[in-house]
Order: sequence, then structure tokens, then C-alpha cells
Amino acid sequence: MIALLALAALPSAAAALTVTEVAREVRCPTCNTPLDVSSSPAADDMKEYIAERIDRGWDKQRIIDGLVDEFGEGVLATPPKSGFDLIAWLVPGLAVLAGLAAIPFITRAWARRRPAAGRGETPPPTSDEARRLDDELRRLR
Amino acid sequence: MQAPAEDGTAATGGGRWDRRRAVAAIVGGVLVAGVIALLVVGLVNRDVGTSIQDALDEGERPEAPGLTAPVLIAADGVGPAGAQVSLDDLRGRTVVLNFWASWCEPCKREAPILNDVARRYEGSADVVVLGVDVQDLSEKALAFAKAHGINYPSLRDSGQAYADYEITGVPETFIVDAQGRIALKVIGELTEPAQLTTALGQL
Repeated sequence: MIALLALAALPSAAAALTVTEVAREVRCPTCNTPLDVSSSPAADDMKEYIAERIDRGWDKQRIIDGLVDEFGEGVLATPPKSGFDLIAWLVPGLAVLAGLAAIPFITRAWARRRPAAGRGETPPPTSDEARRLDDELRRLR
Repeated sequence: MQAPAEDGTAATGGGRWDRRRAVAAIVGGVLVAGVIALLVVGLVNRDVGTSIQDALDEGERPEAPGLTAPVLIAADGVGPAGAQVSLDDLRGRTVVLNFWASWCEPCKREAPILNDVARRYEGSADVVVLGVDVQDLSEKALAFAKAHGINYPSLRDSGQAYADYEITGVPETFIVDAQGRIALKVIGELTEPAQLTTALGQL
């Protein structure tokens, strides 16, 4: 088991940059899918470009910058963190924060509503029922 | 959402409760409106339009979108390589605008046809064949030009022209007349020079 775990940990431990690692960060311009899962002729050219740069010792960011120079910012798998595209990064975070902020209000509202809802389920006892209930309770005491 | 309790017991806090619900409704409404606004912006800025094709289908000559891009291959008075060239710079000449990529098989097959047309009008003040390399690595594009003996100039697009000309795939060829209007659009591979020369002769 330990040996298996060690084996599984090996690829991530190896520091060498792989084509897939870089390809995950960009997308194939003709198929609009992440490059690591694309196999169009254009994607094959890009993977070849990445492999050649890795052989030359380029780091990941330099290769990605090179691809941006070739294809424009649209080649990035994630939108740039500036300008209008920033919205794509901010909206999910803001939505989570808004949800968290709403929890106290919603729980308080629920806690207040539950007793009211409980009363609403059964009609209030008639005067006859109330008298009988009082009798029963008195007998129990 | 449940209706507020009808009986009198909940009536004491009713005013505050209603105000809170109104605030919640307004906040919710603003959020929904924001999401809808984003969707509208996304739809309006869609990559692929059909206005050029629609205009051509109706027999019109739509204005050719502006195109400014660096020169990849210098030839026939367009250059030097790396210089920014705009379609406006060629106003007065009819431009055969061919969108291509090195990885595109039909582009390889039509290259001799474009070479042939370019040779016919070489040095002409009236017609220029201009390639636009799209979605391509520059080193691959240059290798393609060398392998196929490309004798006409080419620009290198970073995605803008591809979107503006509503390209759906390569190759696509346009004829932009001397007034900067699109006179012809050929989707897919050119199979004979006459597809272009006939139209060029009629302009």
C-alpha cells in the first residue's frame, strides 16, 4: 500500500515540466477546448511548440507568454484578471459571500416562522374541545 | 416562500417583516438583473455573426471590416515583415483576401491557385492578393509559405480579423473592391483560378 502511494506520488514529485502541464493552461483556438484534451491539427502544432520549448529549458510562464504572443490573450484557458474579464473572477466569490451573509437573516426568519407554521397546520380548538382538554389536564394533575 | 401567518399573533412584527421582505426582493431583483445584463453583453459580443453573409445573400456589397495586422510575409509592395499594414493602405486596389492556416489541408491544395492569380496581377496597381494567417504559429506559417512557394504577401491575425470577417473555418476568400466593399466571399477551398479571376474581371 505504501509502495503504491509512493508510486502515485512520483509523477508530481518529479520536477520536470510536461507538455500536459502547460497545455492545461491554454486552449486550442480552433476547437475552444483545453489544449491538453484537444487533438486538432492546430492543437498538435501547439503541443509540438510546447515540447520544443520545454526541451530548450523554457519555464511554464515563458511558454504560455510565447503562446499569447502567437495567438492573443484568447488562448489562455482562464480569462485574464483585468478589465471586463475580471467579472468572471469576482462574480463567483461575491455570490458565495452574499450567500454567507444571508445565512443569519434566513435562519432567523425560519426560526421565527416555524412556530407560526405549526399553529397554522391545525385549526384552533373549538370551545367544546378546549373545555374537554382543560378537564383532561386537570385530571392528570 | 410561505405566506405570513394569518392569525393575529404574528401581526405585531408584521410591519418590520414586510419591510425586510421588500429589501430582500429588491436585492434579489438587482442580482437577477445583473446576471441578465451579463448574459446580454455576452450575446451581443458573440464571436460569430452572419451580417456579411446576409448582406451578400441580398445582393449587397457590405463594407469590409477594418483590418490592421503585422506583415508575416512581405511581397508585392506589402511589407516589410513585422510592419503594421491596414486594408485602408490598399484602398484603390482590389484585394483578394485569403484567410489561411498552415495546418489546414484545403489551404495547401488551394495555394497553387492563389499563387497563379497573384502571378497574373503581379505588379498591378489594380489587384493585390493578400493572405491572412489565422490561428497559427508563425514559425509553422513561414514554413508553409516556403514549402508552397507563396509569392503573395500575408498578414498575421491575432483573432480580431477572424471575428470581424465572421470566419467559420479556413480557408475563406474574400474579394474587397477598390472602394473597400466585399464583392465576393468563397467559403472553403478554391478549386480553380476562374473563381477569382471571373469576379475580378467584372469589377
